[in-house]
Amino acid sequence: MDNNSLKAQGNLIMPPLKDARFRRWRTMPKDIHETIVAGVFLLPAICFFAVFVVYPIIVSIFTSFFNYSINRFEFLGFGNYINLFKDEVFLKSMKNTIVLVIGVVPFIILFSIFVALTIYQKSSLVCSFFRGVFYLPVVTGTVSVIVVWKWIFDPLSGILNWFLETLGMINQPIMWLGDKHYALWSILLVLFTTSIGQPIVLYIAALSNLDKSHIEAAEIDGATNWQVFKYIKWPCIMPTTLYVVVITIINSFQCFSLIQLLTSGGPNYHTSTVMYLVYETAFKLTQFGYANAMGVILAVVIGFFSILQFKFFSNKVEY
Amino acid sequence: MKNSKKKTSIGNILRMTLLYILTIGFIFPFYWVITGGFKQQEVTVQLPPQWFPIHPTIENYRKLFYNPALTWFFNSVLIALGTMILVCVVSTMAGYVLAKKKFYGRELIFAILVAAMALPKQVILVPLVRLISSWGFHNTLSAVILPAVGWPFGVFLMKQFNETLPTEILEAAKIDGSSELKTFILIVVPMVKPGIAALAIFTFIGAWNDYFMQLIMLNSKLKLTLPLGVATMQQEFATNYGVLMAGATFAAVPILIVFIAFQKYFTQGITMGAVKG
Amino acid sequence: MKKVFSLLMVTLLLLVTVVSGNIQVGAADDLAQLKAEITWWNFPNFMAVDGVIGKYEQSIITAFNQKYPNIKVNLENIDFASGPEKINTAIQGKTVCDVLFDAPGRIIAYGKSGVLADLSDMFTGEFIKDVNNNNIINACKVGNKYYMYPISSAPFLMGFNKNMLEKHGLLNMLNLKGDRTWTTSQYKALLEALKAKKERGAIIFCSSQGGDQGTRAFIANLYDSSITDEKITKYTINDQGGVRGLEFVVNAIKSGLLLNGSASDGTAAIDEFCAQRVSHTILFSSGLFATKKDQIKFEPIMVPFPSADGIPELEYLIDGFCVFDNGDANKIKASKLLIDFICNDSIWGPKNVKATNTFPVRSSFGNLYKGDETMTYLAGLTKYYSPYYNTIDGFAKMRTAWFPALQAAFTGDKTPKQALDDFVKVANDSIKQ
Repeated sequence: MDNNSLKAQGNLIMPPLKDARFRRWRTMPKDIHETIVAGVFLLPAICFFAVFVVYPIIVSIFTSFFNYSINRFEFLGFGNYINLFKDEVFLKSMKNTIVLVIGVVPFIILFSIFVALTIYQKSSLVCSFFRGVFYLPVVTGTVSVIVVWKWIFDPLSGILNWFLETLGMINQPIMWLGDKHYALWSILLVLFTTSIGQPIVLYIAALSNLDKSHIEAAEIDGATNWQVFKYIKWPCIMPTTLYVVVITIINSFQCFSLIQLLTSGGPNYHTSTVMYLVYETAFKLTQFGYANAMGVILAVVIGFFSILQFKFFSNKVEY
Repeated sequence: MKNSKKKTSIGNILRMTLLYILTIGFIFPFYWVITGGFKQQEVTVQLPPQWFPIHPTIENYRKLFYNPALTWFFNSVLIALGTMILVCVVSTMAGYVLAKKKFYGRELIFAILVAAMALPKQVILVPLVRLISSWGFHNTLSAVILPAVGWPFGVFLMKQFNETLPTEILEAAKIDGSSELKTFILIVVPMVKPGIAALAIFTFIGAWNDYFMQLIMLNSKLKLTLPLGVATMQQEFATNYGVLMAGATFAAVPILIVFIAFQKYFTQGITMGAVKG
Repeated sequence: MKKVFSLLMVTLLLLVTVVSGNIQVGAADDLAQLKAEITWWNFPNFMAVDGVIGKYEQSIITAFNQKYPNIKVNLENIDFASGPEKINTAIQGKTVCDVLFDAPGRIIAYGKSGVLADLSDMFTGEFIKDVNNNNIINACKVGNKYYMYPISSAPFLMGFNKNMLEKHGLLNMLNLKGDRTWTTSQYKALLEALKAKKERGAIIFCSSQGGDQGTRAFIANLYDSSITDEKITKYTINDQGGVRGLEFVVNAIKSGLLLNGSASDGTAAIDEFCAQRVSHTILFSSGLFATKKDQIKFEPIMVPFPSADGIPELEYLIDGFCVFDNGDANKIKASKLLIDFICNDSIWGPKNVKATNTFPVRSSFGNLYKGDETMTYLAGLTKYYSPYYNTIDGFAKMRTAWFPALQAAFTGDKTPKQALDDFVKVANDSIKQ
C-alpha cells in the first residue's frame, strides 16, 4: 500500500467531532431497541464463537481432569496437572518455548526497525517491493519454506555444511537439526524469517505517519541521525513496538508446523515446544486428557499476554 | 529535499548494502525452490550446488501430478474462499454494531472476543475434532472452514474499521426512517468496503496457510489442501528434493500471485489491526 | 522354541511346493452382488510399478472388481512418517479407513482400544493349518479375537552397497558365505576401512517413529543383548550387552564411523543409502528393496546384524490387514472380501506376496522365489528369529520412548546406561498400564 492512502485512512480514523447531532448521540443512553438490533447483528458471530471456541474450551478444561484416551475415561482430579509438573519432557518443552520467545523477539524488533527506517521514505514502488520480499515467507506458508531449510540444514547434501567445509571452518558435517547445541537455534532462525513480515509492515506504517516537520527541524538544528532516532522516532513508534512485542510473543508461543516438519521435537525433545507436545500427546500417544491439561496451562500462560494485549488495545494508542 | 545530500553518507551506503544482502537472503530460498523443481534429483543434492538447472527436467512435476495436486489446489481455493466469505459477512455485521451501537454487554462481549484472539488452537484440538466428527463433518472442507469463522480476529478488525465511519450519516439515515437492515446494507457496507477488502485478503491467505487445522481435520488424499498435500509428500519423498521443491513451488505460487495482486489491501489489514483500538 | 519355529518356517518356505487350490469360496452368489464403498489405506509395502506408488494396488482393485463389481474400493497410500498420526486423528474424527495394510505393532494396539472389527471368521481351520506357525497366528490376536489377517513375512537385515565395497576392495571384509553372519569386531574393522576410503557409515536414524525396530535390533545384537526376555514379559535391553552396544554406537558416531541420525527418520536414512551417499543402512529387507527398486542403481547386499558371538537375533516383519469397525456391517463384509481376495485368490494371492518381495504365510503357496539367490538366502535365516514382541501391551507407548532415548545418548544428555535404564523403565511401565 502506498503511504498516501495510509494517511488518508489516518484521517478517517479521527472524524470531525463538531456536529451537534453527533454529541447528542454520544450522550444517548443504551436502550433496549439498540440492544435487540445489536443482538441480531451479533448473532452469527456469537454462534460461531460459542460453538467453535467457547464450547471446545469448556470441554477441554473439563476433560483435562480425566485419564482420557480412545477407550478410557476415568476421573483423576488434578492428577494430569500434578504429573505435568513432574514430566521432564513437558518442562523441557516449556523451557524451549520460552527460549524461542525470548530469543526471537529482540531480533525481530531490531531487524524490522532497521528495515523500516531504511526504506520508509523510498518511493511507494520500492517500499512495496521490500515489504513484499520480507513478507514472502509468511505468504508462501511454512510448508513451502521448510523444503529449502531442510536442504540448507541437510548434514550430507546441504549448502550450509558445504559452505563451512569449503571455508575450512569445519571438517565434520554438523547435524544442524539433530545436534542439541544447534537444533533450537536453527529453528529460531527459521522462525525469525517467517515472523518478520508483519512487524516491518507495521513499522513502515508507523514511521510514515510521523510528523516530518519535527524531524526536519531537528536536522536543521544539527541533530545526528542517531539523535533523531533516539529522541523523535523511537518514542513515536513505541506503541508499535509494544504491539509487535505482544503479537510476536503470542505467535512464537504457537510455533508448531516448523517443529513438526523440521525436527519432530528432536533430538531428545530439545526442540519440542508445548504446542508440538500437545499435538504429539494427543495424536501419537492418544492421551487426550493429558494433552488437554497441557493445552490449558499453555492457554493460561498466553492468557497472561492477552491481558497485556487487551490493556494495550484499550489504551487507544494513536499515531 | 534539503537532507538529500546527507543521504549519501557512508552510513547510508552501509545500510543499503546490508539491506540488499538481507533481501538476497530472503529471495534466495524462493529462487532455489523454483529452479530446484526443474532439476534432476541427483543435481538437487549435488555439491557444490548447481546454481541454475543446466539440464532442466519436468520429471519432478510429472511425479507431483501423479498425486492429485490439482484437486488439492481446488480444495485450497474452496477452503480459502469459503472461509473468506463467511468471515467477511459475519464480521462485518458484528463489527458494525460493536463499533456503532450502544447496547448492554458491549464491553463484555468485546473483551471476551479480544481475549480469545490469542488462544492457542491446540488447547481446543481434541474437543474440536470430536465436535466436528459428531456432525459427520470430519474430513470435509467444512471441517476446516467452520471453526475458522469462529475465530474473532475478523470481528475485531471490522470493529476497528467501523469506528472510522462518520456517525452523522448513520444518524441522518435513522432520522430519514431507514430501517436498520437497509442502513447496514446501503450505507455501512459501501463505506467499509476497503475494510472488507482488507479482511477478505487477510482471511484468504490465512485460511490457505492454516496448516494446523488442515492437518487435524483432513485425511483422505482427495480432501487434502495444497500445503497439507505437499507436507505429506515431504514425508513420503524424504530426501527427494526435486519433487519436494516442485511441490513447494506449486503450493506457493498461487498464493503469491494473490498476495502481489492485493498487497495494498493486505497491508491495510495488518496495520488496521494495530493502528487504533 | 526358536528351533521349532525355524523348522516350521523352513518347512513352510522350502519344502512345500504344491499349490493347493482349496481357497475359501463362501456363499459366492449373494456376496458377488454385495454393494459397498470402502477405503483402503496402504503403507508402502508393494513394489512400485514404473516408479509410481499405488499403481500395483490399483491393478489388484481392478481384478477384485471383476469378481465383485459392486464394491468400490478407494485406495490411499500413506507413509510411515505421517501415517500413524493420521490414523489416530482419523479414528478420533470417525473418518478412518475400512481396510488397513500394516503390521501387528500398530494393528494390535488398535485392536486393544476396540476400534477394529473381529476377523475371527476368516481364521478358518484350513487357514490356521496352512499357516502352520503359532508365532504368526498369535501375533494376530488379542485375547481370543483375531484382528489382523496376515499375508506375508520377512526378516529385517542390514544392507550394504556391494558395488561401493568392491570399488574400494573391501568386499572381502563381509562374510559372503553361508548365512553371512559376522562379529562386531569385523563390523568395526569394516567401518574403519570405509572411513579411510572417505565413505560414510550408516545413519543411526532416530527421528519421528518409523523403523525403530531396526535400531533396537542393531544395538541389541552388537553385544548379544536381547530386547525382551524369552517369554516377552519385560524389556531387557539395558543389560550389560545392550549398554555396550549403545556405547559402541555412540563412540562410532563420535569418531565419524556412523552418522548421528537425530534429525533423520528411517525413510530418509534408507533413501540416503539408495542414493549412494552412505555405504550401508542398518534397516533393510527384501520388501524395502522392492519398494525402493527404481531408486537403487547399484547392487545391495543384505547381511545380518553383527554380534559379539557371531550368532544374530533377527527381527522380522509380518504384513497383514485389519478392518476398522465404522459401524456399517456391509462395509465390514466388503472389506473382508477384499482382504480375502488379496491374500487368498489363487492367482492374486501368490502374485501379491511376490509384489511385496516377502515370504507368504500360507505354506501352500510354496516357494515363490525359485532360483532367486537373495530370497533363498533370506528364507534360510528363520533359525535366527528372535521372540516377536510387537504385540506386547503398551507397545505403542514403548516405541515413543525409544528414539528419545537414542537421541539422549547421542547428544550426551545421558550416558548410554542411563538412557537405556530410563527407556526400560518407561517401557516396562507401559506393559502394566
